[in-house]
Amino acid sequence: MTDIAVVESNVSVYFIFQDVQKHSVHTLVFRSLKRTHDMFVADHAKPVSLDETRYSCFVKQYAVFVLPSTSISLRVCNCRLDASRTAAGVGDIHRNAGGAERSPAPHSHSLLEGGATKNSSLVARKNPTMPKPQWHAPWKLFRVISGHLGWVRSIAVEPGNQWFVTGAGDRTIKIWDLASGKLKLSLTGHISTVRGVAVSTRSPYLFSCGEDKQVKCWDLEYNKVIRHYHGHLSAVYDLDLHPTIDVLVTCSRDATARVWDIRSKANVHTLSGHTNTVATVRCQAAEPQIITGSHDSTIRLWDLIAGKTRATLTNHKKSVRALALHPRQYTLASGSADNIKQWTFPDGNFIQNLSGHNAIINAMAVNSDGVLVSGADNGTIHLWDWRTGYNFQRIHAAVQPGSLDSESGIFACMFDHSESRLITAEADKTIKVYKEDDTATEESHPINWKPEILKRKRF
Amino acid sequence: MSACSFLPAPTQLSQDQLESEERARAQRSHSTALVSSRREPPPYGYRKSWVPRSLEDFGDGGAFPEIHVAQFPLEMGRKKKTSNALAVQVDAEGKIKYDAIARQGQGKDKVIFSKYTDLLPKEVLNDDAPELQKPDEEAVKELTEKTRDALMKQVSQKIAAAMPVRAADKQAPAQYIRYTPSQQGVAFNSGAKQRVIRMVEMQKDPMEPPRFKINKKIPRGPPSPPAPVMHSPSRKMTVKEQQEWKIPPCISNWKNAKGYTIPLDKRLAADGRGLQTVHINENFAKLAEALYIADRKAREAVEMRAQVEKKMAQKEKEKKEEKLRELAQMARDRRAGIKGHGGDKEDGEARERDEIRHDRRKERQHDRNISRAAPDKRSKLQRDQDRDVSELIALGQPNPRASSEAQYDQRLFNQSKGMDSGFAGGEDEMYNVYDQPFRRGSDMAQNIYRPTKSSDKDMYGDDLDTLIRTTSRSHNKFVPDREFSGTDHGPRRDGPVQFEEDPFGLDKFLEEAKQHGGSKRPSTSRGSKDYDHDKKRRKE
Repeated sequence: MTDIAVVESNVSVYFIFQDVQKHSVHTLVFRSLKRTHDMFVADHAKPVSLDETRYSCFVKQYAVFVLPSTSISLRVCNCRLDASRTAAGVGDIHRNAGGAERSPAPHSHSLLEGGATKNSSLVARKNPTMPKPQWHAPWKLFRVISGHLGWVRSIAVEPGNQWFVTGAGDRTIKIWDLASGKLKLSLTGHISTVRGVAVSTRSPYLFSCGEDKQVKCWDLEYNKVIRHYHGHLSAVYDLDLHPTIDVLVTCSRDATARVWDIRSKANVHTLSGHTNTVATVRCQAAEPQIITGSHDSTIRLWDLIAGKTRATLTNHKKSVRALALHPRQYTLASGSADNIKQWTFPDGNFIQNLSGHNAIINAMAVNSDGVLVSGADNGTIHLWDWRTGYNFQRIHAAVQPGSLDSESGIFACMFDHSESRLITAEADKTIKVYKEDDTATEESHPINWKPEILKRKRF
Repeated sequence: MSACSFLPAPTQLSQDQLESEERARAQRSHSTALVSSRREPPPYGYRKSWVPRSLEDFGDGGAFPEIHVAQFPLEMGRKKKTSNALAVQVDAEGKIKYDAIARQGQGKDKVIFSKYTDLLPKEVLNDDAPELQKPDEEAVKELTEKTRDALMKQVSQKIAAAMPVRAADKQAPAQYIRYTPSQQGVAFNSGAKQRVIRMVEMQKDPMEPPRFKINKKIPRGPPSPPAPVMHSPSRKMTVKEQQEWKIPPCISNWKNAKGYTIPLDKRLAADGRGLQTVHINENFAKLAEALYIADRKAREAVEMRAQVEKKMAQKEKEKKEEKLRELAQMARDRRAGIKGHGGDKEDGEARERDEIRHDRRKERQHDRNISRAAPDKRSKLQRDQDRDVSELIALGQPNPRASSEAQYDQRLFNQSKGMDSGFAGGEDEMYNVYDQPFRRGSDMAQNIYRPTKSSDKDMYGDDLDTLIRTTSRSHNKFVPDREFSGTDHGPRRDGPVQFEEDPFGLDKFLEEAKQHGGSKRPSTSRGSKDYDHDKKRRKE
């Protein structure tokens, strides 16, 4: 490595920590040539002029032919190119490192012939590169709140960020102060496990749903139940409030999700189409307004006006138990036992897989900084960088003293509104609060990331 | 054109070329013929042996009823084999639309993912890529408004359906339409060219009950076609993995519903009794020993204490006795000293008598002392009065029986009761041996004054019955002066029905017979019994 050009000396620093891959001299020389070209010579927007002498080398290992029909990739290419042009340096080189190996060699041969007759433009462009994940501070446990007598199943944080509510298997709903972790109030009324809680941003109401088919609306000024929404045929597993319309959506074990008008308690729409328990539901102001994930391993995007399915996403192999909507982007993450998938709105186009958390994922939450948290049934929490899908931390908190080791599992997790605290509801009857470790820096907790040189896995 | 001349003629023609040839042929045929030949069916009457076989044979008419052959003019009437096969569709670029199957029931705008590229991961985009941005505020607001209106409409419909009857809602004002009919003429519309139509919404009766029955249950329609599955089929399970998930059948220690006979080792397999050795903590033994020791020590301590106390008590007693003896001795000495000199001369008998006198005086003194000292203490007489009979017997007190008459066994009395009256069937509770109590002590009842019936006869007169009876018949107040002639002065009536004196003496006869048959006992009670039975029967 050291006898190659000056450019390489910066890169060698990294290679100390990794296994040195053995390549032939030809490969090494070629790579360095390519990198030099990228760094100093190449203008990526301009197509490379067809130089017959070096045609075979470059074309075979470097270029991808762009047909007029695939215009999307061009657009994508531009964005990335902007990014890569601004961020020069070690990272840049690193990013480009895997380029040489990735070109589809057999493609080029067939397309060469096609290119001659079809009058397509040969645009030599960069191969898709792996972007580097953004560094995030690791999260650590800083408070354990115990007080519930059953599994804590759900969490909701008040819009003013003063307190949060939890619903548990001991059929109570408890309100805790966020700053100190002290119990403020206990509400009883459910006759079975409370599976979902939500606090309204537009009125002083708290909504709760339970395995006893009840959906209750609590008035927080009087701490009393004022409304019941009757209609579900089986246990209600989750609920969510629409951010702008006074509408409540609940999902249940009877394979339906129901849309309720809050004031009149009328069941506006019954969203049927799933064939198994609907485990999770999310609402947003933009299209599609309702998203549900079900145990039949599908996700459905619904049209709230018509009450019909807009799109069905069948990519998952196991039940989808968790959904998370990104607060800034128009994207969605869905968690299942096989892997976590990211999608765009409004049509549900698949973006990428986040694999590595090989457990039943019960809960997910996203930060504005791009931190995705997935909490599993075995008590492990994985923290991911949203954009690249890099898992930067794994936490498995110890159970409360007195609990068995098998009593570790996470049923709900939520960021507070300042996005600095992560609150998790656990199976050892405690609520754990995590915060970012302020003392950690990029050097103390480096990103242990290797760009994938192999072809990206198809699922 | 030049190139075509060199090349050999094509063996297969493309679609366009075929069409152009066809057109050319048609043109040529048009140009040479004077009359275009169209095959007309033969006119009516000349169709005897003619059968229409092809579509052109029908001309522009229909089937021929006089020709008895199945005819399908314009291909009408043929039984089409319906198949639900989709016709192959091609999109704008000429590629076959393979997802037409998946899109069968949906609109063409519906988002359905069916291509392989849909499940490929896309490129990781920058955060500010346009695809990832949320739609802007205005669009969102507009959508919110639209949604809210739609939902409100739904909700109001639902609520109105549940609300009670209200006043009839106002109808929209009448609409006027100017209509120009297509058929015009003097006859239609009485010559006018146009009509004006007034359209009014029909009033809905607010009290009208629902017109249609909605309680019919119909089966649900088929669901929308399933979405194509966008993942590889789940991997085949290896034998090893299947073995891992095998769960052995449950052999209960309590229930055996089908009555299977299960070998003993299988029965105990899940129990694990033989596998573990029971470990008992050694502290149990220590505890037992400690308790034993403690018990023994306690007993010893108690014994020792008891012994010591006994000794102490004995010593005390001896001391006291000594003291008393000394005192007695002193007293005796004093007394002997005072009296002393005369009494020594007498002999034994006098001394004995003296001793007896002495004792008696002592006793009297003792009693006097006691009565003086404890006046609450009862005297002997009082004590004997309150004693129980068993105590008196135990003390051997004499029986203060007043009379000396013989005491009879009570069983001798009341002989008229019959054979089974005396022994009373072995009843133990009944104590009927004696007729008078054993010791009739001082009965308070006897001492209580009880006035007899006839104490003050001269003051107050006798009681009523004796008065009635004893007053002389002639001056009896309750006997009429002049009686009825038919009054019966026979035996007094005892009941509502009076039995006549039997003329034949049957009763007497029967009584005698019974007497002789049984023991010689007066049967007055039995007779009275019969009488009672008869009385009762009559009453009923």
